[in-house]
Amino acid sequence: MFERTRRLCFTFLLAVSVPFMADVGLGQRVTPSVHTLKNGMKFLFVPRKGDPNVSCGWIAKVGSVNERPGVTGVAHLFEHMMFKGTHAIGTSNIQQDLKIIQRLDVLRSEIRQQEESLLEKHRRGVINNPKDPTSRSEQHKKLLTEFNALLEQQRELIIKDEFSRLYRNAGGSGMNAGTSWDYTIYFVNVPANKIELWFWMESDRLANPVFREFYSERDVVYEERRMRVDSTPTGKLDEQFNAMFWQSSPYSWPVIGWPSDLEGITRKEALDFFSVHYAPNNLTAVLVGDFDPKHAKIFAERYFGRLKRGPRRPEPIRTREINQLAERRLAGYAETVPTVKVRYHTVADAHVDEPVLIVLAGILNGRTGRLYKSLVLDQEIATNAGAGVSGLKFDGYFSLIGVAAKGHKPREVEEALYAEIEGIKQTLVDARELQKVKNQQLAGDFRRLRSKSSLMMQLLVYDAMGSWQNINKFSDRIQAVTRSDIQRIAKKYFHPSNRTVAIYHSQLDRIDPSPTKQGVAR
Amino acid sequence: MKQIQIDRRRWLQMATSGALALGSAGGTDKSIPVHPNQLKFGQLDFNPPEPSEYRHELPHGAVAYLVEDHQLPLVRLGVTVRTGGYLNSDEDLGLASMTGTLIRSGGTKSMSASKFDEEAAFLATEIHSHIGATSAYAGIDCLKQNLEPSLVMFFDMLRNPAFNSERLALAQRHQLQNMQRRNDRTSVIENREFQRLLRGDSHFSSKLATEKSITSITAHKMSRFHAQYYHPSSLVFAVSGDFDTKEILVRLKNSLREGWSANRPDVSTVPKPKHQPTPCLAMVNKTGVNQSRVSIGHLGIQRNNPDHIAVMVMNSILGGGGFTSRITGRVRSDEGLAYSARSSFRAGVYYPGVFRASFQSKNGSCAQATAIVLEEIERICNEKVSQKELDTAKNYLVEIFPRFFATASIVAGTFADDEYTRREKDYWKQYRNRVAALTADDLLKAAQQHLHPSEIVILAVGNVNEILRGNPDRPQYKFENFAKNTDIRHIPLPDPLTMEYPKG
Repeated sequence: MFERTRRLCFTFLLAVSVPFMADVGLGQRVTPSVHTLKNGMKFLFVPRKGDPNVSCGWIAKVGSVNERPGVTGVAHLFEHMMFKGTHAIGTSNIQQDLKIIQRLDVLRSEIRQQEESLLEKHRRGVINNPKDPTSRSEQHKKLLTEFNALLEQQRELIIKDEFSRLYRNAGGSGMNAGTSWDYTIYFVNVPANKIELWFWMESDRLANPVFREFYSERDVVYEERRMRVDSTPTGKLDEQFNAMFWQSSPYSWPVIGWPSDLEGITRKEALDFFSVHYAPNNLTAVLVGDFDPKHAKIFAERYFGRLKRGPRRPEPIRTREINQLAERRLAGYAETVPTVKVRYHTVADAHVDEPVLIVLAGILNGRTGRLYKSLVLDQEIATNAGAGVSGLKFDGYFSLIGVAAKGHKPREVEEALYAEIEGIKQTLVDARELQKVKNQQLAGDFRRLRSKSSLMMQLLVYDAMGSWQNINKFSDRIQAVTRSDIQRIAKKYFHPSNRTVAIYHSQLDRIDPSPTKQGVAR
Repeated sequence: MKQIQIDRRRWLQMATSGALALGSAGGTDKSIPVHPNQLKFGQLDFNPPEPSEYRHELPHGAVAYLVEDHQLPLVRLGVTVRTGGYLNSDEDLGLASMTGTLIRSGGTKSMSASKFDEEAAFLATEIHSHIGATSAYAGIDCLKQNLEPSLVMFFDMLRNPAFNSERLALAQRHQLQNMQRRNDRTSVIENREFQRLLRGDSHFSSKLATEKSITSITAHKMSRFHAQYYHPSSLVFAVSGDFDTKEILVRLKNSLREGWSANRPDVSTVPKPKHQPTPCLAMVNKTGVNQSRVSIGHLGIQRNNPDHIAVMVMNSILGGGGFTSRITGRVRSDEGLAYSARSSFRAGVYYPGVFRASFQSKNGSCAQATAIVLEEIERICNEKVSQKELDTAKNYLVEIFPRFFATASIVAGTFADDEYTRREKDYWKQYRNRVAALTADDLLKAAQQHLHPSEIVILAVGNVNEILRGNPDRPQYKFENFAKNTDIRHIPLPDPLTMEYPKG
């Protein structure tokens, strides 16, 4: 329940499991009642029988794609700050608390100046470690002492994690949030008799947020980065592969942010981010479960109606990815199975080509997919292989992955992956093969409706990416894909100059002096 | 026909009366209370479903829980089989697990492996098989319209698996490759070594397959293992979704009546570990990581212990209750030392479980975070918890109770699991009362009786030099101090294929 950032999970959600209900004689569609407030905030209500519980969530149409260099990671850090309370929640004395917070900010910016002078010395090679306490000036030490003393003072006022406690006391479960490249999502399940609590809590943290414990939370996020990226076998390489794939696009930096930025983001920067991107006209909320939309509508007006429309519309993303001219490659060593990863630039979410790419991935994937049958079962050069579609809001890619079997090189697997792609370009896929993928998509459409919280999240994400109504269009689009569509799309996107390739050699194989491994930095 | 929404109606009446109050409250800002504590909520009545209403006995002693739910045209059918990896001899470590994999991937006597895969894929039916440490599972998840052909395949797989030798060779290669990576992830190393410290090396729960045991697996051995345990008397079914109870009962009875051996398998009970862990400070060196993982704990209790619920509530205050718990509050939100810091107190089904507090922190701050965790363990043994903490922990468990029965699939699965593990009959009926009755004194007693600060084992996996160096800004915290009067126990990394540990 601590996993606040499920970036991978979310991108995967869009990638492989794009929903929904096909028409094929079943006629089930998601038909929420829609209510839009004067301030622009949209609500979707989906009453559904089942246990006496309601899955509630809202989404801000903002993610790391809206950041700029210097504050990478701020969208995610901000997500953490939304749990730190408000004027009414989390403190016993808000006036005193705000005074302390203000003073802490002043001290922190003075400490930052001290840190910057150490960074400068480090840049010039005068000191080895800018974090070594013995390099600090007297003034620096004094500031730190004062800062820590003030934190102790603030701690007296803080009502620890009151936000979480209020939900927990009321039986709120699964409270969490996640940040992706394109959106930030906040959700919880509440007992059916307590939806008003959700309206109170969520509107309060949008109306009156207080970002207390900002600097210790920044440390928490840095620990999150260490856990997910730095201290996993392939975390750092994966991050660099992504940064290499996108040249000009803001998708090139990691959602969790570059380390230097995580150490420097200020509370002021987080607040600026909030005022633009968390205005009600940039938000959508969804409730799914055992409740009456008539009541929910009254609550929505009462609680969220008090939010003020934003001063300006969030600026659209200006910087687009530059056209790729030549293949790019990365080779590295990691404590992992020998792996090859290939990415091709394709299209943004909801582009007309996307359903075709998804069906194509279906042809390649699974136990009976072409990749497994060819690379794993027939040729025995791989132990695993797969494909995926990632449609982001402003751009997208198609990826292939293969794991080399013992005695085989990732390079062989790479060639075999390309051979399968060539096969799709050369010959129309089999009709039964296509039907199999469509059948699976259809069953998947139903399976994804099983859980209320999953439906809630899908509606939110669809709306953040474009429109919730796409949820009802997708299945028809998938079912309409033809064999020649697949061939046409394969020819359109799968060119060597449009791809970026990563090869991870196993750390164990490192003694192998093959020339491809020369000059590889770790 | 039984639906799980019986109790919903009762609630809807409550909701309607709530709506009247709501209408009179108006829609202005003034109607917003200053604090959510002032909100008033209607009553919500919920009675858990009654297992006997869904339970059916099948031929040869098999049992089924059938829970209809017609919202979507899907059916999920699963079966728990009384067997497990614990039954493997030392020479055959990994045999059970491999058998579970091959039951699904190795085809049947009438259908080749690839034909089986193709048919299932075209029907869009998910078919699973898995053998775990103390139970096995097999199941299908299919569209209602494909239920019959899916059931035919399912029972063919369950009864007549062919253990195709090429698929076996493939699974062996795959597993050997994964075994090779046993020392890559600090999380994997941490779980393995903590298990060994607490269970010793001779209990099945800490034994791992080796290259030798995996390569010695044959189709014949798997076939023998399967024949020994896969029998109707060992099966508990859980079926949920869009089906008709009467029809499926006839169908299940027909599949179970004939074609099975007359002999019921004699399945030996799950052995209890004999190892008594030695309190220690153990470390595994893993350079190249800037964050270490620390586990702190000792042996716990069994599920049938009368204090089980008191211990669960006590632990939710200590470190199991998310942001509202003490360890998380201090290590994460006060000090910013970890993203995840928590504790769990698992009650074992067959033998005592484990109490474990754990966190991940940058190498230098592990000492400080460990000190905080130890302090909190001591504190909950010495002081009564506050009323606020007690209320939160209890209210949460009582209020989320309906979620334990949220869907037909969860209901069927819970009842099947309860039958398999022979959970006490009135457990769910009594659950909320038992939680609600707990007092701060009860929790203090539970903590004193079941937390043992003097028996604690501490394990750190990470960059040992940096952990021991600590944080220059917090020189008062020294990791080696936790070793008390003993030496730090440095655990080397084993050969991942033989699981032999270098000496010295």
